[in-house]
Amino acid sequence: MQTKVVKSACETCAHFNAEGLKKLGIHAENFDFVVALAGNPNTGKSTVFNALTGLRQHTGNWPGKTVTRAEGGFQYNEQKYKLVDLPGTYSLLSTSTDEEVARDFLLFGRPDVTVIVADANRLERNLNLVLQILEITDKAVLCLNLMDEAKRNSIVIDQRVLAKDLGIPVVATSARYKEGIPELIQTISEVANGTIVCKPHRIKNVSPNIEKAVKKLSKEIEKEFPGIANSRWIAFRLLEGDSQIIEALKTGELV
Amino acid sequence: MNDYNPISALIIFFGIAILLFLLFRPTKGWFWLLQKNFKSNEKVIIEDILKQLYHFENSGNKVDTRTLVEVLNFKNKRIVEAIKKMSINDLVYFDKDALKLTEEGHEYALRIIRVHRLWERYLADKTGFHKNEWHDRAERMEHKLSHDETNKLASQLGNPKFDPHGDPIPTKTGKIADIEGVELPRLPVNSIARITHIEDEPEVIYKQILAENIHIGSLLKVVENNNTRIVFHSEGEEFVLAPIVASNLTVLPIEKEVVIEENIARLSGLQENEMAEIIGISKESRGESRRRLLDLGFVKGSKIKIDLLNPLGEPHAYLVKGTSIALRKDQASKILIKKSEHAD
Amino acid sequence: MSKKNIEHIIELSNELRWQIGDDFHDNLTEGIYADAANIVRDSVQTEKGKKRFRLDSKIDKIVTSKTFGFPIMFLILGVVLWLTIIGANYPSSMLANLLLDTIHPALKSGASNIGMPWWLDGFLIDGVYLAVAWVIAVMLPPMAIFFPMFTLLEDFGYLPRVAFNLDNLFKKSGAHGKQALTMSMGFGCNAAGIVATRIIDSPRERLIAIITNNFSLCNGRWPTQILIATIFIGAVVPSSFSSVAALLSVIGIAVLGMAFMFLTSWGLSKTVLKGEVSTFNLELPPYRPPRFWRTLYTSLIDRTLIVLWRAIVFAAPAGAVIWLICNIHVSGDVSIAAWLIDSFDGFGWLLGLNGVILLAYIVAIPANEIVIPTILMLTVLATGMSGGEGAGVMFELDSISATGDVLRAGGWTLLTAINLMLFSLLHNPCSTTIYTIYKETKSAKWTAVASILPVILGFIVTFLVAQIWRLF
Repeated sequence: MQTKVVKSACETCAHFNAEGLKKLGIHAENFDFVVALAGNPNTGKSTVFNALTGLRQHTGNWPGKTVTRAEGGFQYNEQKYKLVDLPGTYSLLSTSTDEEVARDFLLFGRPDVTVIVADANRLERNLNLVLQILEITDKAVLCLNLMDEAKRNSIVIDQRVLAKDLGIPVVATSARYKEGIPELIQTISEVANGTIVCKPHRIKNVSPNIEKAVKKLSKEIEKEFPGIANSRWIAFRLLEGDSQIIEALKTGELV
Repeated sequence: MNDYNPISALIIFFGIAILLFLLFRPTKGWFWLLQKNFKSNEKVIIEDILKQLYHFENSGNKVDTRTLVEVLNFKNKRIVEAIKKMSINDLVYFDKDALKLTEEGHEYALRIIRVHRLWERYLADKTGFHKNEWHDRAERMEHKLSHDETNKLASQLGNPKFDPHGDPIPTKTGKIADIEGVELPRLPVNSIARITHIEDEPEVIYKQILAENIHIGSLLKVVENNNTRIVFHSEGEEFVLAPIVASNLTVLPIEKEVVIEENIARLSGLQENEMAEIIGISKESRGESRRRLLDLGFVKGSKIKIDLLNPLGEPHAYLVKGTSIALRKDQASKILIKKSEHAD
Repeated sequence: MSKKNIEHIIELSNELRWQIGDDFHDNLTEGIYADAANIVRDSVQTEKGKKRFRLDSKIDKIVTSKTFGFPIMFLILGVVLWLTIIGANYPSSMLANLLLDTIHPALKSGASNIGMPWWLDGFLIDGVYLAVAWVIAVMLPPMAIFFPMFTLLEDFGYLPRVAFNLDNLFKKSGAHGKQALTMSMGFGCNAAGIVATRIIDSPRERLIAIITNNFSLCNGRWPTQILIATIFIGAVVPSSFSSVAALLSVIGIAVLGMAFMFLTSWGLSKTVLKGEVSTFNLELPPYRPPRFWRTLYTSLIDRTLIVLWRAIVFAAPAGAVIWLICNIHVSGDVSIAAWLIDSFDGFGWLLGLNGVILLAYIVAIPANEIVIPTILMLTVLATGMSGGEGAGVMFELDSISATGDVLRAGGWTLLTAINLMLFSLLHNPCSTTIYTIYKETKSAKWTAVASILPVILGFIVTFLVAQIWRLF
């Protein structure tokens, strides 16, 4: 196993401006962008967080360590980014506290970019959360973490196909060894600044009667809130009878 | 402290302990009984009478004061007093001997039923109380919730239309949906239907149904239907019910051609080194625990096998979608699977 | 945006929800996973036939096997506890030397040099400083050893396997297997154990774990147990067995604590917590080699220092209170402490304890670490014997036999010792823990239950033991 920090290929390439990077720890005031970090438990999300911010949050090999939100920041090319580490969750559809914290931030905190950390070894399982997040936000980056383990398990992922299917940029990392972090930062900044425009995947395989109901409802929502990005997701939640979303709709917090 | 004696100290201690036990033991403690007696004031009696009248009228039976005394667990005198008061307040009237609800009384009764059924829904969806307790708890709660509280509860629950037994919940404005479907004994052999309602009275029969693994929402297929017994398959199990019990089940026949899987097994029956595919989750698992299972990847079509056996017998760890997840036996028994022919 | 249209949307959603039935969540999740499967088919290639994580499953087979599973678990727990208790001795006495025997006299003489009035110097240096110093000296070393070891096991991924192995035991008492871990964590510090209950995501089981964590004998109580057992229990057997007898009795108390934990869990899940939602899920994550130095650092910062800081915050005022009650006199020359000891004596006697112990447990709520020094100081104060450092100045004696002499002079018998050990196990959690419980549950009700329940159990158990003892 490699233990030394491997210089990533991109650290020398034209895109990444290493001098422009400054890790800010918890001192992220007057930031230009808010970046949310979401993902399943046990995907090394906190390790990615630490690698980006230079902080040392505890990262237990145990699902559900980060119960409260942790915040940190970094500066890249004169722009300040505030990073919010959300609790690791399997989904955003249930009602546990962790999921509420994560979902509320994505929905009401309106991050400029959402970085979704996924375990490359268990992509299918992780996509459950990824696809849900892509219904909420359209500015996201998939961070395919634990690539070192995937390599050991002989798992090969075609990142270009994945990025095309998901409609968002995909960056492979091994956050433990700081591999891929420069590319991740570069991609975050490009999405934040609008250089990369995402066309997120929308959930397709729902049964026809539900799809019909969702279409009907989201049309009404779009009529009421023109230009809303996640009308489909709100429709999903309304159909589930989520009282929090109903409340938010009434108070206008959603727009 | 010279006259102290450990035996008398112990006797006093156990005396107090026994007294506390008698006072506060669950449900039969004197304190709870007293509290219940104290609380069964006029309002409770009136509301219970209204509810009974509503149910009797719905089933087309006539009610007089004597029937009420038989059905309700209150003193004779108090019931008579309550009825007197109710007729003064225009909630009920006498049609010869029979007691009937006025329009106002009808509305009031629906309000009580709405609270009762909403509260059962709440207990089923948002708490961990066992289903045996839902009814009694709702019975107590229905007299407590105010109009506004009820509406708030309803919207928190997403304005449900049916309670966990499949009974319709009256709306704010007193509208009430119909239970769709027919009584199970009227279903011909080989028809497929979905269970929509389980009647919770009389209690003797309801308890029998509860003891079986029969759940609202699950599909069933009738395999035998005659005067002595009704046999049907549901979620991989065979049930044999007497017609009188079966008639407490309301089912909605399904016209469309649905595939009802044969040879369904339960995940709890999976052996080491066997492979299986998940068919679904039994309707018995509901609310938060059902959602959790789904989120963890226990969805239709997932391949599954045992990853680890437990030194204490349970839980086992199952390998599903690349991750090892431990489930207890009672959870695993709610996951319906189809074993694969070949292990791969 | 108009109110009417919003209402319309909500009405429509209610209508549609009932049209599509209650399979919505099932359907949606199935749909998402179906999409996920399609995407993965496009982009992921796995080497066919390669078994998943060979090494992982090999380790798993061993640590969860019928033969080795439990021995490995007890071995690891035993080693961790042994290293903590034995390993902490040396740094603890060094810290005590420094903070109590060197800095404390230096502060005293410094205070008298600048002419500080006796009451200010007593209040600040004998009261506040001494309590804080004591807590640091006793608490810091074991925590600094225990938590990193625990965290290493956690990072490696072994702990979920422990939860897996033990779940059946916990299930029988209505609890979650992960409670095995929060319980073990409680052997280090109950406050940390309670924070650790966050890993239990089922509301009912989490509350059970929080309320019963206090039954794990924490680092602050081990020294008390060991000291008292050595003095009194060790004395009733032939001297060649005395250390073994003392050790066994301490282990007995810890095991008794676990028995109470199971019993209380069971009782709670059947009564007051019956209505809380209960779900179970336990993922067994892959093993990952822990990074030693990083773990050391983060566990020191995250767990040890935070808990220590909280303990100090609570211990400082306690020190002040202890000094004040010993130095404020109510009538004539009877101090508040002496008066309180006198009034608690009757009740204390009924429990096979005494007024000194009860008062010590009341003023030492902030930290179990200062119970013994407080008891010694109060015993000297109450009996009027010579020794000690003066009213309100906590102290400990260098020799165990001298400590025994002071306690025996205070009227202690074997019964007092046994009941003190029981009461040290079964009493309210320290204020750091109570505060942590409140922060974690955000409920005054559950905090009250968790605080009062153990002390009631303590009263009952010590009372019964005392009566039965006196019968014979």
